[in-house]
Amino acid sequence: MILGRKASGAAALALVAGGALAQPYEDYAGQTVVAMFPAHPHYDAVMEVLPTFTEQTGIEVEVDQMQYLAMRERQTLELTRPEGDYDLIGYVVFSKADYVYADQIEPLARFFMDPVLADPGYDSADLIPGYMENLGFAGGDRGYLAGRTGGQFGIPFGAETSVLAYRTDIFEEHGLEPPETYEEMLDLACRIEELEPGMTGIASRGQSGHQTSHAFLLHLNPYGGGIFDDDWNVIVNDEAGVQAAEALKTILDCGPAGGTSFGYAEAKNAFLTGEAAMILDSTAIGGEVNDPEVSQVVGNVGFVPHPCAVECASQTGGFGLAIPRNARNPEAAFLLMQWLTSKEGDKLIALAGGNPSRISTHQDAEVLAEYPHLAIFGEALENADPDWRPIIPPWGEINSELGTTLNMAMTGEMEIQEALDIVAERTEEIMREAGYYTWQDAAAE
Amino acid sequence: MRGGPAHTLPKDPLMATARRRANRLTPYLFVAPALLVLAVGLLYPIGYMVWASFLDWSPSQRIGEAEFVGMRNYVGLLGDASFQESVRVTLVFAAAVVSIEMVLGVGLALLLDRQIRGMSLLRTVFILPMMIAPIVVGLIWRYMYHPSVGVFNRTLESWGLEPIPWLSSPDWALASVIIADVWQWTPFVFILSLAALQSLPRSALEAARVDGASEWQQVWHIKLPLMLPVLIVTALLRLIDAFKVLEVILVMTNGGPGLSTEIVSLRIQRTVAEFRQLGTGAAMSIYLLLIVLVLTVAMFLFGKWREGRDARVRARAAEAEAA
Repeated sequence: MILGRKASGAAALALVAGGALAQPYEDYAGQTVVAMFPAHPHYDAVMEVLPTFTEQTGIEVEVDQMQYLAMRERQTLELTRPEGDYDLIGYVVFSKADYVYADQIEPLARFFMDPVLADPGYDSADLIPGYMENLGFAGGDRGYLAGRTGGQFGIPFGAETSVLAYRTDIFEEHGLEPPETYEEMLDLACRIEELEPGMTGIASRGQSGHQTSHAFLLHLNPYGGGIFDDDWNVIVNDEAGVQAAEALKTILDCGPAGGTSFGYAEAKNAFLTGEAAMILDSTAIGGEVNDPEVSQVVGNVGFVPHPCAVECASQTGGFGLAIPRNARNPEAAFLLMQWLTSKEGDKLIALAGGNPSRISTHQDAEVLAEYPHLAIFGEALENADPDWRPIIPPWGEINSELGTTLNMAMTGEMEIQEALDIVAERTEEIMREAGYYTWQDAAAE
Repeated sequence: MRGGPAHTLPKDPLMATARRRANRLTPYLFVAPALLVLAVGLLYPIGYMVWASFLDWSPSQRIGEAEFVGMRNYVGLLGDASFQESVRVTLVFAAAVVSIEMVLGVGLALLLDRQIRGMSLLRTVFILPMMIAPIVVGLIWRYMYHPSVGVFNRTLESWGLEPIPWLSSPDWALASVIIADVWQWTPFVFILSLAALQSLPRSALEAARVDGASEWQQVWHIKLPLMLPVLIVTALLRLIDAFKVLEVILVMTNGGPGLSTEIVSLRIQRTVAEFRQLGTGAAMSIYLLLIVLVLTVAMFLFGKWREGRDARVRARAAEAEAA
């Protein structure tokens, strides 16, 4: 699809307003940045502040918003074209590997080196480190994360971590304390049903495939486990892996009925309709708990950071912003990206209901007055683990294998250890086929 | 100068041959545009898919950049347990839905093949399910099967019965998906069977009645055999569709629990969208195409065989009568 452009009108506006514009934007005023964003509450908030950007800079912005999986498919096609329709894209975290590996998004160094484009007051140290490494960097020792050999390709925008939401009224009524450790959490998960008949412990995803895999990963890092060790050896079936899967099984068994068919939407609804006393998932729920249109538990929800087992490690994921290699207006796109993720932009978006990317925004008095839960989210972010899931091209297949096989253990068709052993074996095959053991195998010969 | 041109022209053998040839070619000329459309619209995409099935192709590459891997995708799939499981699930699913839908659809048509007031309205109501978009059907059933707020479990609970884990237990999930498909597609079988019934030669039925055939005998010996050609085509259409159903299952279970409802088309969708292996996905589609093709040819041959047998029976009867 070729997007209609409003460039001529904007150019006329720029001619009239040209003298009044701030210097860095002057050369680009009148250009149109075409952006592809996911349909997501954060980006809905972005839509509200975009007119302010155009007002301040004279740069027009056109946005295509679509459901994130559809967006990803469309993006993948767009990026292979010699000249694309989009200047700025919001990408979902697992696309980072594909785009960087196919050399389809711009390394950002050339923009941040440009004295005219780069804003000296940008303060990159204020961007949340866990998000930055997870969404923005690639090319270090792990390939998909930061490191001495790595570079920056994107900026987190609409990123999420995991927190535990709980019902303050129920906890108060029974004299319960919100859990800080896994032991406490799992104990509570199964006790709620006795204390409060008709209510269950923790709502969780559990549908076969991606959803089960996601739910399992939430517990894997806190137990000190991982999918791979530092040499890409598969360790998902070690003791920590089994403990994490057992934790998930306990949560599902003591959670709402039918949990093994739940996606995020069902799990969230179970909590928002009062069917479950807790939910451990993305911070995205923060914007909905007090919205009377979707929530029956308004005013009765508290948050605590993701409980810890042997480690404190919460999720990192969500979306980032990048400039495609085939963008027509990369400089203007950079200016928009920089503005949106600046202190000012981040705060405006947070006030409109988005997920802030900066530490300072999580501490901003004005923002906290409106969204008090952001204080807890800021605390949770200190433990945000950038290596939450391997962001490598074969992950799609491994993710599906893990999610479908482990789901059989959750429904009781299979033992947990057996399921994880199958996953480990398949993962190793997939990784070998993708070439991850080439050097290891050569050394062994 | 002897003889006018009017006399010489038809006598010129060369010209006559040319004209005959032109006459013979005319039909092809008229068919050419249709053939061209067919070639571009049908064969090109299939050819593209066949070509893709020999490639190791990621969606981040243009097709020209993909590596040619020969039969690797096909061979790999033969040893892939998940793919085999999905073929098994597909066969069970297709066999179950087509048989149940045929029995229910034809049965309903036989029951309702009579003059009833408001029949046309009833018919419209009956075919409503197949007019609903598949995604919506998936969502409707997913909510009806919801473990705690779904209408089925609430009804069971109000009767004092145990709730059923419709979509969350591997023992129930496939049955639940089959029920939804039967709900949606039985009307299709019903409407075609009814049309076939109403176009049956009344004379045959009347003759049977005069000879004292019971209702049941009429159905079994007259109506069903006469409807058979239509029923075969109907079953075939349903079968082809059942092999390709995607959205309803995608929305209802996403293939789970485990792999218990992951039919081939869902596996293809996953392979392409989640694993990003376009070549493997294309090879799976070719396998699916082959399975459907074999079944179609088998049913077609069965129809032919029956027709031949009927013709022989008729011929023998005629001979006997003549003797």
